Amino acid sequence: MSYLCLENVVKTFNKTEVVKKMNLEIKQGELVSFLGPSGCGKTTTLNMIAGFLEVDGGKIVVDGKPVHLLPPNKREMGMVFQNYALFPHMTVFENVAYGLKLRKVSKDEIKSRVAEALEMVRLTGYEKRYPRELSGGQQQRVSLARALVIKPKVLLLDEPLSNLDAKLRQEMREEIVDIQKRVGITTIFVTHDQEEALAISDRIAVMYEGRIEQLDTPVEIYNHPQTDFVSRFIGEVNQVQGKVVKTLNNQESLVSFYGYEQILTRHLAKNSVIDFYIRPEKIHISLEPNDGIVVKVDRKMFLGAKTRYILHNKENKHIIADIPNTVLNPDHVQEGKDVSIQWNSEDLLATKK
Amino acid sequence: MQPETAYQEQELLFKQKKKNLSKKRMDYLLLLLPTLGIFIFFFLLPLFFLFITGFKTFDASSGVGNDWTLENYTKFLSDTFYLGVLWRTVKIALLTTLVAIVISFPVAYQITKANRRIKNYLTLIVLSPLLISMVIRCYGWVILLSNNGVVNNALLKFGWIDKPLTLLYTEFSVVIGMVHVLFPYMVLSIMGSLERIDPSVIRASQNLGASPIRTFFSIVLPLTLPGIFAGSVMVFSLGISSFVTPAILGGPQVKVMSFLTYEQVAVMLNWPYGSAIGFLLIFIATITIIIYSKLLTTSKKGVAIQ
Ligand SMILES: Nc1ncnc2c1ncn2[C@@H]1O[C@H](COP(=O)(O)OP(=O)(O)OP(=O)(O)O)[C@@H](O)[C@H]1O
Ligand SMILES: [Mg+2]
Repeated sequence: MSYLCLENVVKTFNKTEVVKKMNLEIKQGELVSFLGPSGCGKTTTLNMIAGFLEVDGGKIVVDGKPVHLLPPNKREMGMVFQNYALFPHMTVFENVAYGLKLRKVSKDEIKSRVAEALEMVRLTGYEKRYPRELSGGQQQRVSLARALVIKPKVLLLDEPLSNLDAKLRQEMREEIVDIQKRVGITTIFVTHDQEEALAISDRIAVMYEGRIEQLDTPVEIYNHPQTDFVSRFIGEVNQVQGKVVKTLNNQESLVSFYGYEQILTRHLAKNSVIDFYIRPEKIHISLEPNDGIVVKVDRKMFLGAKTRYILHNKENKHIIADIPNTVLNPDHVQEGKDVSIQWNSEDLLATKK
Repeated sequence: MQPETAYQEQELLFKQKKKNLSKKRMDYLLLLLPTLGIFIFFFLLPLFFLFITGFKTFDASSGVGNDWTLENYTKFLSDTFYLGVLWRTVKIALLTTLVAIVISFPVAYQITKANRRIKNYLTLIVLSPLLISMVIRCYGWVILLSNNGVVNNALLKFGWIDKPLTLLYTEFSVVIGMVHVLFPYMVLSIMGSLERIDPSVIRASQNLGASPIRTFFSIVLPLTLPGIFAGSVMVFSLGISSFVTPAILGGPQVKVMSFLTYEQVAVMLNWPYGSAIGFLLIFIATITIIIYSKLLTTSKKGVAIQ
């Protein structure tokens, strides 16, 4: 049973559909990331869920009740903004207490709940400070406490970490997931940082041009991208062209990659040319000249535990391979020399167009 | 002198640095000099002489006598007529400020919300009263408010009143005229504050459960206090010292402090008394502004008022 549902949600700005018939189901307590390039409609979707934008079609249902016609102050959602959006004229205590005061909670209970929330984000003792007296990370934690203290039905985070430096980002994201799991709150986390999304999400909704391309666990998204866009967007991939030589039976076809023939467990039409994707770390390099696709080594880059080889074949197709240094000693590979590459057929990312 | 030890050398360097620093300060002073000169010679010095003159006796032949006295101040402060004028002046300025705040806020709010193009036009419209001569603008109000003016005629025609209302030459007409001249200052400074409010702060408030009205009073209004304060100071000081508007729209019935000063200095030629009245006006205006700023700062600590 899903807790938060978007049904055919549409948003149009100046006659262009920015969000196109979006469907999404999120289970209670789940953390779902919206991941996608700039301008794909992540913020717009989040703002419709929070009620800052009206939907132009479709429904938003929370806990079985439609909420898309309610104003934002009646939706019981907690939001954390990219720029924190703390009230500058209120102390940390007043900021966190704001939502409770509106709910006519008694003074004593406000005190204890604010203290509890501040303890959760490790800011006990900062009650009397004003936002401008806090660092970015601290401000973001106040913002999180302020959103969580009202016990909202859904927690919405719009790129909450993008104004923080790299190290703090990692710390904060672990803290956020930790708190999210402890409170057990249904959460949507908007980001365009895929590492962030892969690290913290229960499921990731990869968005592109107002659509959800794939909604899956991080492992599935990475290992089994369903569309071309997801393959290209998540992680790094090499695009390779395969020509179907013949169809062996209903489940198998013989495909030639630049002369290197491989049996794929898929039924493919004979003579069709298909784009496949393969991750750099799934490519094997052999020093034997005729053991797969013959390529020339343009450059090698030492990256610590692994080495990145930049290669090209006779058709001038560029391919990147990442090989652990324990598997292949980079000293044995010389720039300008020919080597051969190959891959396991099941590592090819199979996508539907 | 040749430096002998490293210590001396350092000392010398330090002294040189200090010299450079004071040289820098001189540069700043040089840049400030023109403005400072004008400020000192045409504002502070006359103010000082005004202050001094206020404590001199009146001499019928030369205006300012040679003897020192407190009489000018005691005369003013013990006469109910003069105190009445002082109170009326302050009252008119306060009322003008209050009315200006009330009517400027919605205007400023709408302008900041409008899109860029409309914003420019609206700002121009708001500023338009400043483009017309003060005297002409006041006579415009005379035409509207006099006994057989537009307003009274319309009201009589609709049968809402039997005989014309006295609108002109009252404190009411003076306040209307002053609000008309001064409200652009208020609109502009409130707009400045409103534009600085981050829209996501407003959203955060709604998200936490505040209705738009509640958001306005808890978030928007406190964050615009600096703008309201700056606007109030401008409107109040211009209002309390205004001369033309009360003279035309108030006439002899609604005398204000600046008119008294003018009367003493230019008509009675009693310079010492005129100076005392002028100085009292400055004093009262300053005190009022200080009290006002104290009230605002204690009410909201998080936003800087000054
Ligand atoms: N108020 C608006 N009026 C017109 N177009 C808008 C408006 N807000 C957003 N858009 C457009 O809608 C599209 C989606 O915007 P949105 O802010 O949702 O992107 P996003 O996925 O959050 O991108 P980013 O990662 O840069 O934050 C963009 O093409 C944007 O130009
Ligand atoms: Mg965005």
